[in-house]
Amino acid sequence: MADALQKNRKRNRRVLVTLAALALLLAFACLFAGPSRMSAAESLNALLRRGSSAQIRILWNIRIPRVLAACIAGAGLSVSGLVMQTNLNNPMASPSTLGVSNAAVFGANLSIIAFAGGFLDTGRNVDNFAAGANPYATSVMAFFFAALSILAILGLCRLRSFAPGVVVLAGVAIGSIWTAATTILQFYATDVGLSAAVIWTFGDLGRATYRTDVIMAAVVLAGFLYFVLAGWRLNALLSGDAAAKSMGVSVERLRFFSMLAASLITAVCVSFLGMIGFVGIICPHVVKRLLGQDHRVSLPASALTGSILLLLADTFARSIGQGSALPVGAITSLLGAPFFLAILFSKKGGTR
Amino acid sequence: MLQIQDLTFRYGKRAPVVLDGVSLTLNDGEIGVLMGRNGAGKTTLLKSIVGVERPSGGRILFDGADLLAMTRRDRARLVAYVPQDIQFGDLSVFDSVLAGRMSYFGLKAGREDISAVERILTDMGLEAFASRSVTELSGGERQKIAIARALAQEPKLLIFDEPTGNLDIANEQLIVREARRLAKEKGIGVLTSLHDINQAIDLGDRFFFLKEGRVRYTGGSEQITEAVLRDIFEADVRIAEIEGKRIVINGGFYEE
Repeated sequence: MADALQKNRKRNRRVLVTLAALALLLAFACLFAGPSRMSAAESLNALLRRGSSAQIRILWNIRIPRVLAACIAGAGLSVSGLVMQTNLNNPMASPSTLGVSNAAVFGANLSIIAFAGGFLDTGRNVDNFAAGANPYATSVMAFFFAALSILAILGLCRLRSFAPGVVVLAGVAIGSIWTAATTILQFYATDVGLSAAVIWTFGDLGRATYRTDVIMAAVVLAGFLYFVLAGWRLNALLSGDAAAKSMGVSVERLRFFSMLAASLITAVCVSFLGMIGFVGIICPHVVKRLLGQDHRVSLPASALTGSILLLLADTFARSIGQGSALPVGAITSLLGAPFFLAILFSKKGGTR
Repeated sequence: MLQIQDLTFRYGKRAPVVLDGVSLTLNDGEIGVLMGRNGAGKTTLLKSIVGVERPSGGRILFDGADLLAMTRRDRARLVAYVPQDIQFGDLSVFDSVLAGRMSYFGLKAGREDISAVERILTDMGLEAFASRSVTELSGGERQKIAIARALAQEPKLLIFDEPTGNLDIANEQLIVREARRLAKEKGIGVLTSLHDINQAIDLGDRFFFLKEGRVRYTGGSEQITEAVLRDIFEADVRIAEIEGKRIVINGGFYEE
């Protein structure tokens, strides 16, 4: 018995180490890709702070924050998805199940359309800078509405003791309220405002700066730490609410805090980067198919897989868009979904 | 010893009463069987004991300690539960059983937790399954894993809800034997609901017949008479005696 268990444990460790190595390697490799057509040697020189100042700036001010953002947001969204799926006992659950993304999009739209907030980017919008507008206005508004939505829905679900079915449906309902409000807002928008608002919703890692990376990293790390600490309780939750309660888990408290943490992670990522779909659904499922549902393994594995997918997608997005990057949100689905289907219908998947 | 005193339960202030002053006593090492029609309140009573549901009134004492006032962790070390619909995540058998030790460890399972699980798996003849995923197992095997997980809590009281519900005859007998062994060898009190009256006669020491949220009859198997069964189940049954054993027949004798 001990031997077989040891073998399982070794395999899991091997997979985690491999994933970590792959993520690191990819992150490094991604520093060499971009629309500026810098050669590998030039990129390496810039990384070592040699070469032209423009090249150094491209690498240190654009590529590194962007790669970091891919790692952080990918990990955050993926882990949030996993925790949502466990908590709601629903394979369709995603980081935005509580309608967080829709609320963030509404907040951003409100900022851009109604207040002409610092849209699109921090540095790029010269007019706003000149006017002294807060470059983070749109992100702040997006986050404010996302947080408002989270609190509203968690408050509502408290009334029904966080029954998973109720939470999912309430999330859909609240999400559709925000979507409807966004539609009305867009109906009254000017052409420029509308296009700016729509472009904002396309997930784009190019908006990342060191400051946004630090904020995202803090939230993602705090959430991840909480999930790891709750690992065994989440494992117990897989046996259903009644069994988990009888094993000593305060199910309602666990569900409240883990959904809060997952939603906050999502809110921060969406507020800074826009919508990046599907990472939170694909990555946890791939991990669960291959490694099972033990959260001691699936949490770190999901985080790493999320980083890897977003790094791949972003590099792809930067490489094929002539001179400007395609929205990474579309690429994650475009790249991820076929891979996901392949795993879903593979033999290995069928036995689980 | 489990003592339930005047337990009442309703799912909301205006909802109908599910349990209407239930009182019962079960000794250590004794197997109590709850019987009654669907909706009589059996599952609600069992869930109240393990802390899944919160009763609106009354007391549940174990060896004098109030189960309702305990923290979940403390209660989990005293009372374990095998629910009616058994679910497992895609975890190994070993880890699934180890989850039962959660009320003993915080973040990481200690050495005594590991050895407790090893002992239980060996004891139940499950050691060959240890590293396999629970999702690969059959219904009977999963039922055994659920019992093993409950035992990992080292409970003094074990609560089963319809443990043989979806099992074939061989697995049914297996579970019944296991339950009896736990009660008789380890002195664990066992309280279970059962549909099959013959299985109940076979397994139980003490019977509690529930109707409309109240315990109508209590006692040993001598309590099980045609009159009692007809009253409780509102259906026609006969009791025959074969090889000195009483067998309840619930069909095949209707007059055309």
